[in-house]
Amino acid sequence: MSRTASTVFTLLIALRSLGVAADTHWVLEQSTLSYHVSHPLHQTDGVSKSARGKGLCHDGQCDFLIAVPVKTFDSGDSNRDLHMIQVTRGAEFPMVQVRTHLPESVAGSAIIHADLEIEFAGQTAHYKQVPFQMSTQGSQVHLTGTIPTTMSDFKIDPPSLLTMPVKNEMPVRVDMTWHSQ
Amino acid sequence: MTAACKIVVALIVLLCFQCLPPKVFAQADAKSTQNPQPPTTYDQSTPPQQAKPENPQNNLPNAPSSSSKPSLSDLGFGAQDTKPDPKAQALLDKRTHMLKIHQRMGLITTIPMVASVVTSLGAGGRSTDKASRDLHVALGALTGDLYGITAYYALRAPKPPGIQTKGPIRFHKAMAWIHGPGMILTPILGAMAFDQKSNGEKVHGIASAHGPVAIVTAGAFGAALLSVSVKF
Repeated sequence: MSRTASTVFTLLIALRSLGVAADTHWVLEQSTLSYHVSHPLHQTDGVSKSARGKGLCHDGQCDFLIAVPVKTFDSGDSNRDLHMIQVTRGAEFPMVQVRTHLPESVAGSAIIHADLEIEFAGQTAHYKQVPFQMSTQGSQVHLTGTIPTTMSDFKIDPPSLLTMPVKNEMPVRVDMTWHSQ
Repeated sequence: MTAACKIVVALIVLLCFQCLPPKVFAQADAKSTQNPQPPTTYDQSTPPQQAKPENPQNNLPNAPSSSSKPSLSDLGFGAQDTKPDPKAQALLDKRTHMLKIHQRMGLITTIPMVASVVTSLGAGGRSTDKASRDLHVALGALTGDLYGITAYYALRAPKPPGIQTKGPIRFHKAMAWIHGPGMILTPILGAMAFDQKSNGEKVHGIASAHGPVAIVTAGAFGAALLSVSVKF
């Protein structure tokens, strides 16, 4: 009987290992996130390459989290960047967090539509069906797209220069490379 | 029990386990963990306490998560990245407030400054019109006062530590080294020129530099204003 029990135990361990192996972990390898702000006298892009992200897939469903410190966005002007941190309350709410939930079956698609939940400046905004172009090379997936964020979504007072405020639209361009583990 | 029976029993048990929902394994995982991680919730008032990673490699978000959804603590950011800092926010708010006043006062200063340059045409040279000279002096004095207020708000605006100045603001600040001394020299030279002119003398000596110094000062001030207003 003890031999039977050990056989069952071994098979159970093996089965469980198979179950764990079916889960996929995704890690954000490289990323470039850039926001664009328009002013009658200026067009500004603030870029960050400091985002980190992770995705966990289980039972064919994946949950992703991407986060980036607000202070890492660089527009090429230190004064503007400090002002950006101030208006977005970046010292009080230092992280931008993006969450999404996708079926694992989208892995081979050329375009995916993601529902995004973005926490930024102490506010949470939801964006439905944001399109992203996707290309796969081996275990790497390259994603590009633009999130149509606006300042009012996050209750940000548009900064002004020479008494003229910037436009409300603040699209965020996303360029990310993920790899699966 | 025969060997065939044993195999059948084993297969039945295996099938039973296979039918169990994945949560059973997850619960088993949680129970087997000595120090289970509490579920991380994004709450700015109580940020996740994270130790600063010693090794940058430990920073990578490769550690397996104990929950089904990834959390901020899984990503390996340091505490200095995720911890809210109300004091720093207050400092930035004060800085922005002061620089807004600096910007507004700078724009207002340009009005009497331009007017001073324009009225200088009738205040110097062969002109003997005292009213034009007085108007020029008054506008110059007003420019100096407004400039002083503008400069005060720029100099007193707090700057967060560890910030390296870059971009057009560098040129803006460099111009201050020209128009700042210029705004001190111009009225001194102007007063000398005014006295000489009032005494019926031709403006001479160092006082004759009043005009050129004023032009350079106004030019540097205008360039400083444009450098942060218009993208070159």
